[in-house]
Amino acid sequence: MGSESLEASEGIANIDRDKCRTGIDGLDNILNGGIPRGNTVLITGSCGTGKTTMSLEYLVHGASNDEPSLFISVTEDTSKLLNNMIPYEFFDNTLIENGKLVLIDMPVMYKRLGLDKSEFTTEDIDVIVQAIGDIVKELGIKRLVIDSITNVCFQLKTNEKIRDFILQLGKVLSGLGCTSLLVSEISPAEQRYSLYGVEEAIADGIILMSNLERRGDLLRTLQVVKMRGTTHSRSKYVLDMTHIGVLLVPLLKGGGGI
Amino acid sequence: MSISRDIVKQIKELPPSAAIALNTNVDGYIEVLRAALDMLPADLDLECIYITTSLPSQSIQHVLKLLEVDMDRVHFIDCISQIMVGATTNDPRIQYVESPTMLENIMIKVEYLTRRSNKPNLVLLDSMNSLAIHNNIKILSEFLHIMVNNLRAKEAYTLIMYLEEEGAEEIARMLNLVCDASIDVTTMLDSMISDDED
Repeated sequence: MGSESLEASEGIANIDRDKCRTGIDGLDNILNGGIPRGNTVLITGSCGTGKTTMSLEYLVHGASNDEPSLFISVTEDTSKLLNNMIPYEFFDNTLIENGKLVLIDMPVMYKRLGLDKSEFTTEDIDVIVQAIGDIVKELGIKRLVIDSITNVCFQLKTNEKIRDFILQLGKVLSGLGCTSLLVSEISPAEQRYSLYGVEEAIADGIILMSNLERRGDLLRTLQVVKMRGTTHSRSKYVLDMTHIGVLLVPLLKGGGGI
Repeated sequence: MSISRDIVKQIKELPPSAAIALNTNVDGYIEVLRAALDMLPADLDLECIYITTSLPSQSIQHVLKLLEVDMDRVHFIDCISQIMVGATTNDPRIQYVESPTMLENIMIKVEYLTRRSNKPNLVLLDSMNSLAIHNNIKILSEFLHIMVNNLRAKEAYTLIMYLEEEGAEEIARMLNLVCDASIDVTTMLDSMISDDED
């Protein structure tokens, strides 16, 4: 088997791949050191599972570590997001002031690109991907979050366009050495990892965040379902969002199945 | 020598990463508190994490104040106040866990407090019997195994209180598997009483 097919095989890790440490200790341990650089990872889960907070923490740690980081917000106003970040001890406003952490509102970007419409064409996809690529290149961005990719996909309408968009985006970002998290929203009852079913197949990694009800208690859980380029745990972990960031511990099984 | 001083002596003979089961009864409870939260932390400059699963942390604080324990050294993980709706406060020394069944959240709070601390830690779990009311023995064993090993890696003392009562044999067996040593406070009290009688 040639080295090319080895890398392409899922589940076979290239142990030499450079890792992007998320800065979230528990997650870095699960991922054997971090996300392989250049990967495009789907952070998926229903509301209230901690997707946005964890993604922001990933960016803040990157920015603090001299890796320019970009958050593209599709739905929520970035000033509101920033206010939510203030209580966290790991957040430092100077990261925004010195341009290490950049937050962009996607609707503003759409307007500037003349894409203020309800449905995008294949040509529009090219424009959006190029615009994101240009920003990443210009600012030397090493970490990117798009929150949420589901909302972008909503305007693409067809599975073909969604596939095209994510493939193009992943290729551009990976080519620029950018490690990206695409936040995906699913309903709690969803049996798949993304709303359209396309995103999960294309992404290099899937991190599933859920609410688990156990005897009346609601636990926030995290599970790395897939991550190309590294060996990783596939077990469920319980997480909590504290002032010092996301903390993770193994989900107790108690000798029985849940 | 007082009982609490004797407990401290026995703990100090063990390395800081040790997990110790403390078999006590109601009479020995105060001796354990004095040893674990006052004498030992003062001797070794430790910060204490008190996990309470039986009484609200505010009640424990009242007892500790009466014992003149230095409260600056003690942080609480209170697993009981939130199930008594409305009994919580905004005290920064108290971390609340919604219910004693949320064992993972207890571990997360321990992790949080140990990370925030800049001194070596001592974790006191009060008690295994009350945790066993809310959880089955299998999940409890798993919890204890993971928590003790995490604390071992952080070189923190783990003290686990339990009452040797009828039906608590399984708890004793579980602690025997996880802990490095056991201190029988009940027997220490009994022998002190019989010495006094002699």
